[in-house]
Formats: sequence, structure tokens, C-alpha cells
Amino acid sequence: MSFLEAFSYRRKNTFIHLLDPRTKFSILVSITLLSLGFFSSLIQLLLLSFIIFLLIIAKCFREWLRTMRSMIFLLILIFILNYLTVIHNRFEYSLSMTLRFATLTSAFSLFFLTTTPDELALALESSGIPRDYSLMFTLALRFVPTMARDINIVMDALRSRGLELDKGKFKERIKNYGYLLVPLIIYEIRRSLMVAEALEARAYGAVKNVKLYRPLKMTMKDKIISVITLFLSLTITIISVLCQINLPF
Amino acid sequence: MAVIEISDLYYRYPVSTDWVLKGINFRAKRGEYIILTGPSGCGKSTFARVLNGLIPNFYGGKLRGIAKVMNLDISRTPTYILAKHVGMVFQNPENQLFFSTVEREIAFGLENLGYSSEEISDRVEETLERFNLVHLRNKAPYELSGGQQQRVAIASVMAMDPEILVMDEPTANLDPLSALEILKLVKENIVSRGKLAIVIEHRLELALRFATRIVVMVDGRIIADGQPFETLQSVENIVGVPKIVKLYYRLLNKGVYLKNPPRSPEEMATYICSELGARDD
Amino acid sequence: MIEVVDVYYEYADGTRALNGVSLRIGKGEIVAIMGENGAGKTTLVKHFNGLLKPTKGTVKINGIDTREKSVAELSKIVGIVFQNPDHQLFADTVEEEIKFSLKNFNFSEDVISSRIKWALKIMELEKYSRKSPYTLSVGERKRLAIASVLAYDPEIIVLDEPTAGQDWIQKEKISEIINLLKHMGKTIVIVTHDIEFVLERVNRIILMANGKIIADGKKREILSNIRILERARLIPPQIPHLSYLLYEKGVIDRRDILFLDELLRELEARL
Repeated sequence: MSFLEAFSYRRKNTFIHLLDPRTKFSILVSITLLSLGFFSSLIQLLLLSFIIFLLIIAKCFREWLRTMRSMIFLLILIFILNYLTVIHNRFEYSLSMTLRFATLTSAFSLFFLTTTPDELALALESSGIPRDYSLMFTLALRFVPTMARDINIVMDALRSRGLELDKGKFKERIKNYGYLLVPLIIYEIRRSLMVAEALEARAYGAVKNVKLYRPLKMTMKDKIISVITLFLSLTITIISVLCQINLPF
Repeated sequence: MAVIEISDLYYRYPVSTDWVLKGINFRAKRGEYIILTGPSGCGKSTFARVLNGLIPNFYGGKLRGIAKVMNLDISRTPTYILAKHVGMVFQNPENQLFFSTVEREIAFGLENLGYSSEEISDRVEETLERFNLVHLRNKAPYELSGGQQQRVAIASVMAMDPEILVMDEPTANLDPLSALEILKLVKENIVSRGKLAIVIEHRLELALRFATRIVVMVDGRIIADGQPFETLQSVENIVGVPKIVKLYYRLLNKGVYLKNPPRSPEEMATYICSELGARDD
Repeated sequence: MIEVVDVYYEYADGTRALNGVSLRIGKGEIVAIMGENGAGKTTLVKHFNGLLKPTKGTVKINGIDTREKSVAELSKIVGIVFQNPDHQLFADTVEEEIKFSLKNFNFSEDVISSRIKWALKIMELEKYSRKSPYTLSVGERKRLAIASVLAYDPEIIVLDEPTAGQDWIQKEKISEIINLLKHMGKTIVIVTHDIEFVLERVNRIILMANGKIIADGKKREILSNIRILERARLIPPQIPHLSYLLYEKGVIDRRDILFLDELLRELEARL
């Protein structure tokens, strides 16, 4: 589960946490765009350092580091696979691909570490997406940890009944994990019914045009930051495409 | 005036051929604290769901007889309108909490009812205050204890200011002290404000201190309904009577009359002492 | 026999669930482990079949260090019945459900079929043998979960919150089951906060708070000690509580009364 840690929200009171989710989303989009648009490993490295800089401001560096550590194997694998399949410029290419993967993961990690599911849902709702969908989104994220806990309980029960989950041939292991699904599916179906009841009991769907308790507000700070990031990243992309600049590195 | 009026109510679920409720007659007033109990499968949960219209509006099935809440016919009134009159709290607090902060949780129902942002804010503040949740306002469900979660669940439905609160085994997942705190909260915060509370509960030794009335269901029927002590005595083999109540009746058999039947060990001790004092005089 | 020596346990997220726990439970004992939610009760019993291994200290089952054996091997000695039956029913029929663990433990076919019959009979589930576990009532599902553990005949049986959310009639049934297990000579560990239930069924009580054992002794000693129960955030049982109050007021001379008849006898002398 340590991999998922980098994508679950930590409450902290930092500059980054307090930004509007849409601002953070624009940063995420810009970084993704730049990372995908440029090939050079130096640019990937620059982007990565920028994200690390933001992570430090957001006081989430340690959570990020822990995840990166658990991903080292994956990163090495990406490097090796690229190295084996590419013919020209092998080293530079593989390095860049590996760094790109790290950059993209880190960018998403930064976003999810500093944005609550509620804020995300609010952002969706404020941009005109119907309440049904934003609520669905909230619930999906809300029950991830609960389901993770259920999985653990069921696994404990299975192991206590003598099932060795990770023993035997591949096919057998798949079958073992199949046992996990029976109680889980039934349990989660029941849970969804209970959640639906609870939503009814809170008058969900009574009024079409709801007013939000705390509607999202873009502050001046948010507006400036979003405009600058989007503008900068677009300019860089356009210039590089138009001029076909071959950067010296 | 009765806020709930149910007469000769029958109900069966859509795919079933058996009636789950078989001729229920029930009336309740404001200011009552009703404990609803009985063996599992007796239809208490089904009955509770009739009271806020989840049955039949959400579940379907066949409903016969009269069921009125605040003079609204429940089969003709949508659940979201009934939600304004009947707050419903369920067994598992976790499945009733959807948001990552307590304040947003409380605001949710108010948003759904279409209040203005200012009114929502006012009511959220008032509710946080009333349910002693101000210090927890920014907490996520997983940062709260089971008892606190259930308190938030209650606050979230009570924020909509219903006259009636119905709870389906709200304490089943809690430890005894947290359970007692929840039952006490309902007494002090809801019943004492002139609202009606109907609580499904198995642990009578905890609930007895607060109940003004006990209703016992068996196999889809109400078999006893009334003043707590008389009711308990009549259903001794079905619901397990608290030990001090048993002691009271054993003493009575031996010719010892205490002032009142006891609702807690503390009360019983006082009654015994005053009986002894009276004899010494 | 269960031997726990100075065990500490810390979860991956850094929560300390056990803070130096030591205890011995002998063969044939009936013990209740009590305390509020989060006191560490479930964490402790998960050490008994090796689901959790101590961060520090040792747990030995019949002299075997749990670190040296797999969960499957230990589970054959220590059967744990978890709180919610819906988390531990995996098969299509009631019969298959009981067969599941027997197959995992490699019993022979004829032993399997006789054990299934036996377990179904004891738990009064015979008539459901070909039904899906999920069509049973809550109480029946609970009994099926117990049956599936009982079938492979573990020496030690751990029941996690057996009475939580159960009605009075079901509680009586569970009580009969415990009696039966007692007669079979099993060691029984009950994790619970149902203090009235414990009062009549166990001999020894272990109280936990904040990952530590704060009391361990005979039930009469523990249940009449109102102060220590309060420390474990438990509500005292009614009769011992009342007796304690009457003792404080000088009405009766004994403060360790547990049962209604005992108190009645004391009171008759005064009233």
C-alpha cells in the first residue's frame, strides 16, 4: 500500500494546500504537457526538480520520497526495457523515458497529496458538471481506504482458515484471490445500498439548483498563478514546435 | 397530537410473498423517547424504514394500511420531503459519512434542501455548537472514533431540523461507554427539545435510563408497547430483562416495595437506602 | 498454551497498538479480553495465529515461536472466529463453507465428510447444508462462521466480539456454544466489551487500555473493582455495580458480589 500513500491527501496548512484545486490542476496540466512535449532528459530533470521544489513547499517531500523508493524497481525496469528495445541514442532515450515517468508520477502525486477529494468534487461541480457526477466521484475516493481495510479483514479471515494465498502455481494463486472476491463483492454491494439509503435520508435530490456551503473562489493569487503557468507552458510548447528548435542538450 | 399515526399496516418486499409487517398499529407524540426492540428478523428495521418513507418509496414492495408522519401519507410523499421531518441514522456510521470534513458533512443535507449559502453557514455553525463538534469541524471520518462518527451522523440529519429522529441500532458497533454517550445525547439534545426519538436497541440495560416507552416486535407484529417496566416484565423470555429490574421484581415478590422501579444501579441504590431509612425511623 | 512475553506491535503507519504485553493462558482456560475499541484487543489475538508477528517480544503457542511457523500451521492450533461473519464466508453452500478450511488443512475425504456432518449438527445448521451462506439470518451466519472453525478441531478457539449486534436469543445460543466448547476441553479466548455476557461465562478477565494489560485476574476480583473497570472505559455490570454502591453506603458487608441471588441473600438480611 505504500505506493498509494503518495496519492492520498495529507492535511497541512501550506501555500500549496491552500491554492484553489483548479489552480493546482492547471499546474498539473502544464507539467504533463511539457513533460510529454519535450524529449530531452535535461528538461525532464528540470521539471522534476521544479515539482520537488513545490513538494518541499507543501511539506510533502517525505511522503513522495517513500513512494519513489517503492517505485525504484519499476523505474529501473523502464530504463532496461527501453535500453533493450531502442537502437539509436539508447542511453539518452532510456534515461529520458525513465525521468519522464518519474516526473509524471510526481506531478500527480503533488496534486493528490495537496487536494482533498471534496475540493476536487467541488471543482468539478463549479465547472458545471452535474452534482450526481461530482458526488459519485467524492464517494468513489471516500471509500477507497474503507475498502482497503475490508480487503485486509477478509484476507486475515482467509489466512486464518488455512488458505495460503501466495503459495502454489500461478493459476492456483489466481484462484486463491478469487475467494477474496466473494465476500468483498457481496459486502460492497450491501454497502452501496446502505450509502444510498443514507443519501436519501439526507434529502439528496430534493432541489435541482443547490447552493454550495463553501463555493470555490479563485483568489487573485490563484488567478495569477494559473495564468502564468498555462501561459508559460503554452508559449514554450508553441515556440519549440514552430521553430523546431534543436536545443543544444 | 400524534406526529406518527400508523394503523393496520402490512408490508412485503418486492420479491417476497410473505408479509414482513403484519398489522402494525402505532402512534407517537413529541417528547417521547421510544426504544424499539425484538429478535433480529422481527421487522424492526423494516418498520423504521417506513417511518421515513424509504419503504415503500425506495424499496418498492406492497404496503397496505395507513402510515402518516406529520400528517403526510408516506407512500405519497417523496423521501426527500420526509427527510425534512424524519431524521434517520443507521447502524454503521461510516456508511453515512461522505465528505472529508465534519462541517461539509453537516452542510450536505442543507445544500440538498436548497438553502442559501448564508443560511447553510448559520445552521452549520449552530449544529456544530449544539452537538459539541466545533473542535472536530475539519476532521475526516477516518480521524474520528466510532462514537464521534455516530455523533456527526446524528448532527448531519438533525441540522435539517426534523421533528422526529429514527435510529436503526445506532450503537451496535460502539463500545458501551460510547453507546451510552450516544443514547444520552439523544435524550439531552433531541428529546428534551420536544422532539420524538425512536431508537432500535438491544442493550436494554443502557437504554432503560432514557426510555419513556418500550415497544417490542416479534415476527412482524408489535407484541408489547407501553411504559418501560411493565412492558419489560411482559416479554421477559424474548428480550432479556436488565438485572436490576429483575432484582426489583424479586424483591417485590418478597414483599419489599421500593419507591419506583430502577432505571440504573445508582437509582436502585438510592431507592434501597431510602427504603431502609424509612424502616429505621 | 499461549505465552506472550513483553510484546510490542507497531503498524506500518506508525500507530503503536501493543506496548509491552505479557500473559499466559493455560490449556482449558476460559478467558475474556476486554477494553474499549482501540485498546489493542484484536491486535493481540491476531498474534495468536501469526497473522501479526510482534515488532518486539515473543509469542509462543504450545511452545512454538509464532515467527517460525506459517499462519496456516498456527491456525490449525488456534482458530479465530472474526467479528463480522460476512467477512469470512467464501463458499457457495453452507457445506462447502465448512469444507473450505478442512481442504486447506489437507484432511482426508472421509474425515472431511464426517467433520462436516458433525459441525453442522452441533451448530444446528443441518437443514441449510445445500443453501448459500448468504441466505442465512445474521445469527445463523455467525454460527456457520463458528462451525467452519470448529470443524478442523483447533485446540484454542478465539471469538472476536461474538455477541456484538446480536439479540438476546442469539446471545443465549452463543452462550450454549461456549458451554459446549468448555466441555470439549477447548481453551477459549473471548474478545468483547459485553460485560454482562462475560459475567456469567468466563473465569478470568484481562483488561486492556492503550495497548497494555491493566488488570488480569479472576472475574470476581476484576468485576467488583469498579475503579479498574472505569480505567478500561467499561461500564460495570449492574449487580456488581449496585453491590459496590450499597457497600459504600454501608448497607451490605460484601463488595465482591456478582450475581443476583447473592445480592438478594445479602439484602434479605437487611430488608
